Amino acid sequence: MKIRTIIIEDEFNAREEMEFLLNETNEVEVLQKCANALEGIKAINALHPDVIFLDIQLPVINGFEMLSMVEKSVMPRVVFVTAYDEYAIKAFEADAIDYLLKPVEKDRLQKTILKIKNEIDNNKTQNLEIPLLRRIPSVGNHKIKLIDVDMIDFVHSNETGIFFLCGDKKCFTDLTLKALEERTTLFRCHKQYLINLDKIDEIIFEDNSVGKIKTKSNHIIPVSRHYLKELKEKLGF
Amino acid sequence: MEILLNLLKEMAVFLVIAYIFSKTPVFKLLLTKDFLFTDYLMLYVFFASMAIIGTYFGIPVHDAIANNRVIGAAIAGLIGGPVLGFSVGLTAGIHRYFLGGFTALACGLSTTLEGLLAGAVHAYFVKKGKYERVFDPDIAFFTTFVAEVMQMVIILIIAKPNRDAVELVRVIALPMIASNSLGTALIMSLFRDQRYHYDRIGSSYSQQALRVARRIIGELNKGLNSESAKKIAKIILEETNVSAVGITDRENVLAFEGVGNDHHKAGVEIASYTTRKAIENNEIVFIDGITKRYHCPISPECKLQSVLIAPIRIKDEVIGTIKLYEQKNKFFFKINEALGEGIADLVANQLLAVRYEYQKNLLTKAELNLIQAQINPHFLFNAINTIIAVSRKNADKARDLLMHLSNYFRKNLKRNEDLSTLKEELEHVNSYLEIEKVRFQDHLSIISEIDESLLNIKIPTFTLQPLVENAIKHGISKLIDEGKIEIRIFRNNGHIQIDIEDNGGAFTEESTKSGLGIQIVDKRIKNLVGNEYGVKIKSLPESKTVASVILPSGGIN
Repeated sequence: MKIRTIIIEDEFNAREEMEFLLNETNEVEVLQKCANALEGIKAINALHPDVIFLDIQLPVINGFEMLSMVEKSVMPRVVFVTAYDEYAIKAFEADAIDYLLKPVEKDRLQKTILKIKNEIDNNKTQNLEIPLLRRIPSVGNHKIKLIDVDMIDFVHSNETGIFFLCGDKKCFTDLTLKALEERTTLFRCHKQYLINLDKIDEIIFEDNSVGKIKTKSNHIIPVSRHYLKELKEKLGF
Repeated sequence: MEILLNLLKEMAVFLVIAYIFSKTPVFKLLLTKDFLFTDYLMLYVFFASMAIIGTYFGIPVHDAIANNRVIGAAIAGLIGGPVLGFSVGLTAGIHRYFLGGFTALACGLSTTLEGLLAGAVHAYFVKKGKYERVFDPDIAFFTTFVAEVMQMVIILIIAKPNRDAVELVRVIALPMIASNSLGTALIMSLFRDQRYHYDRIGSSYSQQALRVARRIIGELNKGLNSESAKKIAKIILEETNVSAVGITDRENVLAFEGVGNDHHKAGVEIASYTTRKAIENNEIVFIDGITKRYHCPISPECKLQSVLIAPIRIKDEVIGTIKLYEQKNKFFFKINEALGEGIADLVANQLLAVRYEYQKNLLTKAELNLIQAQINPHFLFNAINTIIAVSRKNADKARDLLMHLSNYFRKNLKRNEDLSTLKEELEHVNSYLEIEKVRFQDHLSIISEIDESLLNIKIPTFTLQPLVENAIKHGISKLIDEGKIEIRIFRNNGHIQIDIEDNGGAFTEESTKSGLGIQIVDKRIKNLVGNEYGVKIKSLPESKTVASVILPSGGIN
């Protein structure tokens, strides 16, 4: 079975070249090519690749930041690809399967493929140490805004998508609720909600051991039984 | 007649005193007209003593004294003004009063008034802005003449018995009026000449210093070495007329010009112990040839007898000395000390300016290298990677790109000239952009609007590159959508303006690294043509950023 992979690289020719080289090995299936981090996250969430070839210098959200937006359960193995040796790569060197310098040499890529196959055969999963996400990308008419996590009141997931409330603005995001729960300080209080603990005004307890949170911005958010106990512990009572 | 002769004799003594006075440092007080309180005090003591001595030198006549007292008071008043004149007059007057005699009061009073009168003359000329006139012997003569006539009148009015007073005035009026008016005039004339003499020395020395200053400008562009030292030594020798000039650094004699150059040679170690001491102690050494003699350490036959050694100091550090020599029989003015020190300072200042200029240049060069170095690695590897990809499908296109890359780097490496034409700059930038366009494809669009008539103006090399590169980083790295770069070059309000606009806006904080490149470009332009030119950045959040380079209408020459 071929290695299922995604290429995330903002330069068209560099993407083509990477795909060409990977196809040449006959060991890899390129599922998709992505031009930026958001496309990358979507593709990872949808396709669950074995490995991604990730350029570090991506527009708006760089490669490292992108990884901190991916939820743990779908986190693929990562091969960093960059044009120029930078100190930042070193930090990830131990955790990443490999990193490649552009232009990529055939023989060098072959070694990388061997490493990947080895890890897949031994059923090893990638365990990157990824810092907490500080800013959440929000997509709106042709623009990406990066919103500070501290500014967000709560995140809600419903049939229209995943959005968060920041002041009185409603912003949609491509990140999953799970990823946001794992990678930020936001707290899961309901199947469909994450809450920023700093924005809680009061907690209202109801009979059947469920509750409601009133935010400082006067929004009411449900707290399910499952999470109420943990919420109490978190807040220290 | 006998009285007149005697008075003239006494007056001659006064002239001698005045002459000696004019040779003392106190006399230098008279070179200015703005006296300090202590100056007044010294002048008061001197002139009051002179007036009192005048009384003692006087010749007893009919129970009174024919005297030269008025000279001290009159000169004090003329030179120092009403207050000094009055004080001296009063002092000498009180002294006279206590000597007694039937004219005691009249004489005491009149001396005071005479001092005051001379002071009034002083005040009159100062008011008319003609202070110099108080040194005019004619004025002195006339003032004293009037003063003495006034004294005679006072004696006639006040001294009793009146008959004796008339008799006295008849005897002393003529000798006193004549001898004292003449005496004051002579002493004034002496003072005036002495002042003139000092003035001339002073001004000829400052003129010398100025001429030296003018001529050494530019000679030190390459620092103080044997070549520049030789030129400067020659200039000093020609302009100051000293017998010889030597210039040393801390260790060696760099140049020696003038008398004694047969054995005082340039290029050898400093032989003189005095010079070494001057360098070590950072002090001026003056061997005047009178109280102390200069002994040439090299040859006993040396004709040089006096020397002034002035250290050249840069920020308290002695970097060498300038030495002025005189031979035997040639008087070495004390004022040379100031001249020597002035020249040493002049040389030091020139060196400091040259050093500063050099360091500034060095800094800009280093900064320039920094921007050049900054672009290389990322761009190079990405460009090569792109060309490899392109070569698989379109060999011609790949070849074109390699040409652009080679052109770009060749221009980068060759750029040690300070200025380039706008055309050259654009070619450089164009090679860069051609590669970037292929790298980013539909992600990058570039629009240029260039006033072709400006292509030959000169601008600092490497002005456009950092700005364009920054705009691309901005447009590409801050946007998921297409990045747009616009380059506009046009005339605006008598300036030349180069706008480089990107649509990146300011989503996040500026990267400081790219900011540095722009700062350097800005600084270089300001250094070359002044602070009204340079780079201005305007940023509209979330829509665009414009970097405008403002240059003089003719570019930079």
